[in-house]
Amino acid sequence: MSFVSSVVESSPLKKILIANRGEIAVRIARACREMDLSPIAVYSECDRAALHVRFADEAYPIGPSAPRESYLRIDRLIDAAKQAGADAVHPGYGFLAENEDFAAAARDAGLTFIGPTPEAIALMGSKTAARVAAKRAGVPVVPGTEDPLSAEVTDVEIARIADTIGYPLLVKAVAGGGGKGMRTVRDPAELASAVRAARSEAGAAFGDAAVYLERQLTRPRHIEVQLLGDQHGTVLPFVERECSIQRRHQKVVEETPSLAVSPALRVEMTAAAAAVARAVGYTNAGTIEFLLDEDGRFYFLEMNTRLQVEHPITEMVSGVDLVRWQIRIARGERLDLSPERLLTPAGHAIECRIYAEDPDNSFLPSPGRILHLRAPAGPGIRDDSGATAGLDVPIFYDPMISKLIAWAEDRPLALARMRRALGEYIVAGIKTTVPFFTWLFAQPEFVESRFHTTYLDEVLTAREGRPFVEPRPEEEAIATIAAAIQAALSPAAVASASNGAANADAPPGRWKARARTEGLC
Amino acid sequence: MQYEIETGGRTRQVTVTRAGDGFTVSVDGRSVQVNAARIDAYTLSLLIDVGATPAPSVGGGPAVGGIQGSHEVTIAPDPVTRQLTVRVGTTPMTVGLNGRRRWGRKEEGGHAASGPQRVVAPMPGKIVRVLVKPGDPVRARQGLVVIEAMKMENELRAARDGTVTEVQAREAMSVDAGTVLVVIA
Repeated sequence: MSFVSSVVESSPLKKILIANRGEIAVRIARACREMDLSPIAVYSECDRAALHVRFADEAYPIGPSAPRESYLRIDRLIDAAKQAGADAVHPGYGFLAENEDFAAAARDAGLTFIGPTPEAIALMGSKTAARVAAKRAGVPVVPGTEDPLSAEVTDVEIARIADTIGYPLLVKAVAGGGGKGMRTVRDPAELASAVRAARSEAGAAFGDAAVYLERQLTRPRHIEVQLLGDQHGTVLPFVERECSIQRRHQKVVEETPSLAVSPALRVEMTAAAAAVARAVGYTNAGTIEFLLDEDGRFYFLEMNTRLQVEHPITEMVSGVDLVRWQIRIARGERLDLSPERLLTPAGHAIECRIYAEDPDNSFLPSPGRILHLRAPAGPGIRDDSGATAGLDVPIFYDPMISKLIAWAEDRPLALARMRRALGEYIVAGIKTTVPFFTWLFAQPEFVESRFHTTYLDEVLTAREGRPFVEPRPEEEAIATIAAAIQAALSPAAVASASNGAANADAPPGRWKARARTEGLC
Repeated sequence: MQYEIETGGRTRQVTVTRAGDGFTVSVDGRSVQVNAARIDAYTLSLLIDVGATPAPSVGGGPAVGGIQGSHEVTIAPDPVTRQLTVRVGTTPMTVGLNGRRRWGRKEEGGHAASGPQRVVAPMPGKIVRVLVKPGDPVRARQGLVVIEAMKMENELRAARDGTVTEVQAREAMSVDAGTVLVVIA
C-alpha cells in the first residue's frame, strides 16, 4: 500500500481504549505501542494492579470486580473512552467483543470500533442466521434446526424435531460461544433435561435462552479459517488452524497447519470461508469454524466475529501481525497482503492455554496469589501473558493466565520446543495446567495427530483423575532436601504452611531460634 | 538442624548441617553435598554432589540415587492444604514438614485415606447445586456439590465410597476456600 493512499483514506487514530483485561489487553497495548498509538486501559476493582493497567498510558476504573458491573458495562466503557479522548475502541475477545450493541454504541459516540460492523456481528452472532448465510454462500452446514427454539417451544415439539435430526445430537445456545450453553444428547430420554440445562446456562451467560439442535458428527476435527476483510471489499483467508484438542467444548491446544488438511482441501476450505465472509460483507478479523469428518467432508459450524484467543499461531506461520492489521483496517487502509503467501505456512506453530486450574483435581480453578513466575523464552517461543509475580488471579474471570506458543520449521521441532518451554515455565503459589500439557504432548495420539474433538474428554474420563505427573522417587528426594534447606535458611518462608495444621510442638519461632544458634540464618 | 519430612506418603528423617559454603544433607542416614543458592524467597538452585566427593553413608541407610546435578526448586505454601508445594522443575509435590503433613498427594484437598472425608471448597465461589443429603450412600467420584467460580461450574466429587453424614453446603451460599461442605464417613 502506498503512503499517499494511506494518508488519503486513513482517519488518524491516536488513542485506543482497550475494553478488556488480561493477556489480550496486554497484547493489544503492545500493538498500539508499535504503531505509535496511545493504549488506554480500563480496570475493575480487583484489577488495579493488573499488567494491562501498567502497560497503558492512562487507565480508568469502571466498577466492581463482577464482569456485569465493569467489563460488560457499555456505558462505563464509552464514558472512559470519552474521558480519555480516545478515538477508537478495541474489544479484544470475550466480554463485549461480539456484542452488536457495544459496537453500535461506540459508533454512535463517534468512536472507531476495531472490529466488524454491528450489523455483521448481529447477523453472524445468531448461530441460526449464520447457518443460513453459509448455505446461501454454497457452503455445507451440519444438519440441524433452521430456526431458533425459543423458550415457548414445548419439550414434545423439540423431541419431534430431534427425531428428524437423529442422535447423538448437540443442544447449543443460539447466542453461544466458548462451550457455554452446549449439551451432548445421546439418547432421547436425556433430551428434555439437556435443553433445560442449556437454556439456563445460555440465559445466564448470554441473556438469551434460545437454543438449537445440531447433529453430532462422529469423531470430527475442529478446523477453522482466520480471515481479514478490509472496507474496500477484499477478504483474505489464512492457513487453517487445528483446534480439536478440547476439554468440555473449550479449546486447550491449537496448532497450524493441520495434519488432517491436504493442500487441495486447504484450497477448498479457505475458499469456502472467504465466500461466507464476502456474502455478508464482513470486515476486520474474523474466523470461520468448520467440522471436518473422517471422510474429509467439511461443514460450516459458526463464525466468530472477533479476534480469536489462538490468533498468535496464525501470526507465527504467516508473519502477519493480526492486531496491527485490525487497527489498519479500522482506519480504512487496504489489505495489500499477498493471498498466496497467506496460504503457504512458514513452519508450524502450536499454542497451549495455561490455566490457573488444578489438573490433578478435576481441573478445578486455582485462584490466588502468584508468588513466583518465570515464563519460558528462547528460540521460537512466545508467551502471551497477563500474569506477573505478586498478582492475584481473581475468581471473577476466565482462569487463563497465559498462552504459550511454540514455532519451528516443522511440527516435530515445534513440539520439541513446546516441551522444552513447558519445562522452563515455573509458577508458584497457584496450580496451573503445565503438568497436564507435559503429559498431553507425550501422548502418541497427539504426537501422531490422531485425535478429534472428543479425544481429550474420552481419555480424561478413562484416566479417572490419575495425576498427570507422578513424581519420580529422585524428585521426591530432591523435594525433601530442598524443603529441609529452605526450612534451615528461611524458617519464615515455610512457617505459614507448617503452622497451618494443629501442632504446637515446634513452632516456627523455635526453628528460627535454633537455626540462629546453629548459624544457618 | 533435624527435620521430619513427608512426601509421596513416605516420611524421611533429614539433617542439615553447614559444610564449607554449602550443606551436608542427610536423608535417612545417607548424605549428599548440596550447594544451595537462594534466587528469591521461593526459589532455590541446588547443586547436589556436583564436584564433591559424595559423603559416606551413615548407618547404612537407603541410598539417595539419581539426584546428582543441578536442580531448580520452588517452595511455596499451599493456601488450601496449608502444606508446602515443592516443585522440582515443573513437577509439583506436596511436602509436610516435621510431621505436619496429613494427607497423601492423591487425596489432596482434605480426603483422608481413612476416617471421615471432609470435602472442602477448593476456592472461593458460590454453591450452585447440592447433589446429596445426609444418609445418602455415595460411590467414589460421585458428584456431591456444584460450585461456581471463574465463570465455570465445577463438580466436587467423593474421593471414595461412603455415607454422607453432614451437608453444610446450601444452594446460593457463598463460600471461602477451605469451607467444609460435605462430610462422608
